[in-house]
Amino acid sequence: MKIKKGPSTIIFNIICYTLLVIGSIVCVVPFILIISGSFTDNATILLEGYSLLPRDFTLDAYKTIFKAPQDILQAYKMTFYYTILGTALGLMMITLTAYVISRKEFKYRNTISFLIYFTSIFGGGTIPWYLMYASVLGLKGSTIAIWFPALMSPFLVILMRTFMVGSVPDAITESAKIDGAGHVTIFLKIVMPVLGPGLATIGLFLALGYWNDWYRSSMFSTDSSTWELQFYLYDMLNATNALKQMSQNSSIPTSDLPTQAVKLAMAVVATGPVLLVYPFVQKYFVSGITVGAVKG
Amino acid sequence: MKNGKKLLSLLLAGSMALSLAACGGDTTTTTSSDSSSQSSESSSAETDDAGSSEVDTSERVDLVFYVMGDAPVDEQAVEDALNEKLLEKVNATVDFQFSTWTDFQTKYSLELTSGTADLIYIANWLNFGQLANSGAFLELNDLLDTYGSDLKALVGEDALNQCSVDGQIYAVPNAWPEYVSAGIKYREDLRAQYDLPVPDSLENVESYLLGIKENMPGQGILTVTTEESQGTQTAFDAAWILNFKYPWVTQNGLDYGLAANYDTPQEVYDYWFSDDFVEDMKLMKKWADYGFWSKSALSDTNDSEAFKTGLCVAEIAGQNPSKYITAVSDCEDGGQGWEAGYIAYGETTGVIYPGHAQQNGTAIVRGCENPERAMMVLQLLMCDEEINKIVQYGIEGTHYEIDENGLYVNLSTDFGYEGFSTWNLRNGDIKLSSENDVLLNEMFDKLEAIGAETKWNNTDIYSGFVEDYEAYAAERTAVSQVMRQYLAPIQAGLVDDVDAAIEEFRTKVTEAGLETVRESYIEQWKAYCDSYGYK
Repeated sequence: MKIKKGPSTIIFNIICYTLLVIGSIVCVVPFILIISGSFTDNATILLEGYSLLPRDFTLDAYKTIFKAPQDILQAYKMTFYYTILGTALGLMMITLTAYVISRKEFKYRNTISFLIYFTSIFGGGTIPWYLMYASVLGLKGSTIAIWFPALMSPFLVILMRTFMVGSVPDAITESAKIDGAGHVTIFLKIVMPVLGPGLATIGLFLALGYWNDWYRSSMFSTDSSTWELQFYLYDMLNATNALKQMSQNSSIPTSDLPTQAVKLAMAVVATGPVLLVYPFVQKYFVSGITVGAVKG
Repeated sequence: MKNGKKLLSLLLAGSMALSLAACGGDTTTTTSSDSSSQSSESSSAETDDAGSSEVDTSERVDLVFYVMGDAPVDEQAVEDALNEKLLEKVNATVDFQFSTWTDFQTKYSLELTSGTADLIYIANWLNFGQLANSGAFLELNDLLDTYGSDLKALVGEDALNQCSVDGQIYAVPNAWPEYVSAGIKYREDLRAQYDLPVPDSLENVESYLLGIKENMPGQGILTVTTEESQGTQTAFDAAWILNFKYPWVTQNGLDYGLAANYDTPQEVYDYWFSDDFVEDMKLMKKWADYGFWSKSALSDTNDSEAFKTGLCVAEIAGQNPSKYITAVSDCEDGGQGWEAGYIAYGETTGVIYPGHAQQNGTAIVRGCENPERAMMVLQLLMCDEEINKIVQYGIEGTHYEIDENGLYVNLSTDFGYEGFSTWNLRNGDIKLSSENDVLLNEMFDKLEAIGAETKWNNTDIYSGFVEDYEAYAAERTAVSQVMRQYLAPIQAGLVDDVDAAIEEFRTKVTEAGLETVRESYIEQWKAYCDSYGYK
């Protein structure tokens, strides 16, 4: 049956669509500018600014990048490595911790929950954090220092615990216990199966955190072959700015810095593959996020 | 049960990862304790035969040299070549570690806190003065006398004095006096074409700019913004041109509208409340009315390529001889018959000095376990021609070659000129020049001759001063805000009534606490001048 549209519905729809169109234009236009800029001759960008369609079409910027693509490919490889390893290990540790502190029969669960929660309010600050990894653990320059610090976060542990408590009623675990199941069986057979959406949400948080991180590379890497992709890009921009700034006071050659077009092309090369993958995994992202939101 | 095993193995794997991490920690602690025992041995050896400069170098020492910037591709190859020589001479190796340009200020202080480095790059823009004061670096006086006498002779007493605090030397500056004298970069071809005067004074700059404006309608004249005026000296870039009138209008000069002449640094006078200030601001207004810069100059973003792309015909802020050299080669590459010219403001005012010794230097980190060896290595890096060439230019034949004129020619992008960013190891006696440097050196010779005539003979007396504004940080911020809000439009000539605007600025800046700031600032400045004997 067709629902009859009153004038108010039509107006409402018009407003909605207009807002959505404006919203998507705001999102899409900058990206188009980046793509078109990456195909534009550098001198044209400097003289005439950016345009939606490339003027003076050229592939020079991409030629410059792909003359030596190994750096950017290496950064891609490392980011995948950190993301996959970090997300897998992180999920395991967070889920196990959350299970333990969600059990009522665990005597110290409140103390331990408090200790975990406490760190989310009072942190040690950058310097002790850095000294811990660099001097005490001696991880400076090691790839461990890049994935290890982000394995667990108090927020995610608590989110997971709440999710567990909410989706697995006590009665069920109790009945399993009466039937003779130990914690391992309860965790794997009863809790894990209903944890799907929770795992998706936490996994998404972890994976995004790893994918977007540049700070740990900045702090702990001593070798550019271990850099994360985001740091590789960020550092390229920073180097350009810093050298320009420094040449104020000092004779430092600045002629071989990347041009505007090359920077834009870098951005395209770095984000392109993610954009291509995104539509295929989007449905998981959406379900993960909404589940997290509802249960929170 | 089967699942239990799985879980157990997972946990085992996790704990193994943890123990791996812990192992990493173990190895470093052992090495560091090893090297500390080494250092106690070498220091005991040293006390045994006190007086002689021979050190027991039988134990190999691995040093870490922390430098700025990004690592070159061929870092390892060059380090290997370098360490071969260093092992032979002093039984030590150097591993260069790079800050990268991301967050480098934070990482630099962290590096000093965690103390993994032995030798470290220092500069005034990395707060050398404050760090030396707080004891981050080792005193080098004795080390230089005992292990670095050649180095001491190379650098010279004066330069070392500039890197010292209370008589203690904390850093060894590079040995290549570099002139970063600010000036005006202009289009020589246009000047010649329209027969305009060389812009070497305020009047001539005005006629040069006006001449181009009249002859080439539609041509952009200046692209000045607030980019180079973020400090507490000026608020708009066009004001730097006043350097032609007053030698103290430089990036190194005094803050808060105060001024002190180079010859009489202790006589501080008040510029913002003087009649000169009103007169100068009227000139700025006149220039703005001529249309030398855009009406939106105050909010424009800086375009560092403007000169190269022809959007302006002169640049007056943040310029230096090396930038002029870059412009010269850009003009040649452009192939449009453009020609760049450069006049350092000091050529007119007669006040010229090279960059301060604290600009590029090397310090030994306190906590370095083998300071003797670090000093010996530093001396070799700077004084030994063969070693200096490896560290600065890489491997001859692979990374660079020297052409028939004795000039540096790069052969590989994997290790460029000064590929380790070791500007602190420059040695003027053996430094290789590239083709562009020939012009630069000519300019430096000219500037050096002028600098030699000045009272302090080629010494930058300003830049060693480190302001400690902790006591008046709030007032300082307020003053800075008033400058952005009220001084910037005046200096940009974008006010209708200059006198009234200046009156308002003076009231506001006084209300912001200018007196407090100035009082404390002048006191600190005079104490600084006293301690270095600048009378």
